[in-house]
Amino acid sequence: MQQSANQIHIKSRGDVTVLDIRGDITAFSESSLEEAYQKANARDTAKLVLQIEKEAYINSGGIAVLIQILTHTQRSGQRVAISGISEHFKKIFKMVGITKFAEIYDSPEAAVQNLG
Amino acid sequence: MQPEPVNNRVKIVLPNTLGYERVAMASLASFAKMHGLSADRIEDLKTIVAEAAINAMQHGNCGRPDARVTIVFKVADNTINVKVTDDGNGFNKEVKDPDIDRIIAMLDKPVGFGVFLIRNLADRVEFKTLPEGGHVVEMLISIN
Repeated sequence: MQQSANQIHIKSRGDVTVLDIRGDITAFSESSLEEAYQKANARDTAKLVLQIEKEAYINSGGIAVLIQILTHTQRSGQRVAISGISEHFKKIFKMVGITKFAEIYDSPEAAVQNLG
Repeated sequence: MQPEPVNNRVKIVLPNTLGYERVAMASLASFAKMHGLSADRIEDLKTIVAEAAINAMQHGNCGRPDARVTIVFKVADNTINVKVTDDGNGFNKEVKDPDIDRIIAMLDKPVGFGVFLIRNLADRVEFKTLPEGGHVVEMLISIN
């Protein structure tokens, strides 16, 4: 089965950078997410929102990729929020501990408002 | 005379290719809905079958393209029973729970989330070695 990389649009909302991630989050997301993060980082962003589609399939490989990004943001002292995920993945993210390092919001607007 | 058991067993054989776990997720979700499992538990069920299938493909079958992952599910005693079988050596069920603080501090690798999710979302899970070779993960989710 062909696994496609994610399309990620990088947007600035005041002093917050939003990575608008299209598609599922799996181990195949690693290169596109790392690349987008590095581009966002080049903007000296201190606040980052990872906007994930509500219908996105996220598996353990994708969780590992997201945690890898959180490793970078922690080292850089950046504040991170994740928005858009379904109730199921809110539960999963809490279970694995992602919520200790990223705030969770229903929409990117709410995330930007609270980070800003 | 004993009543005839209801035959509700479904079997799916997947190629050993990442991504095909979604076929099992979709089939099992339809099956579970048909048998009255709640929407939130269907999401849990989709996650555990996906993670067991991914582990079977990557670790059990070691990525071998000729290997297969067999998934059987049925309802018995108001419980959905899912068995995921690989052709290989199975995955390491003794893997310790991932510790996100240690991962973020780069002291541990970000691994072990699949088994962690299976253990935390299923009502019961068992890892068995088959006498004919291969391993099976049996997971149960109660309908009520």
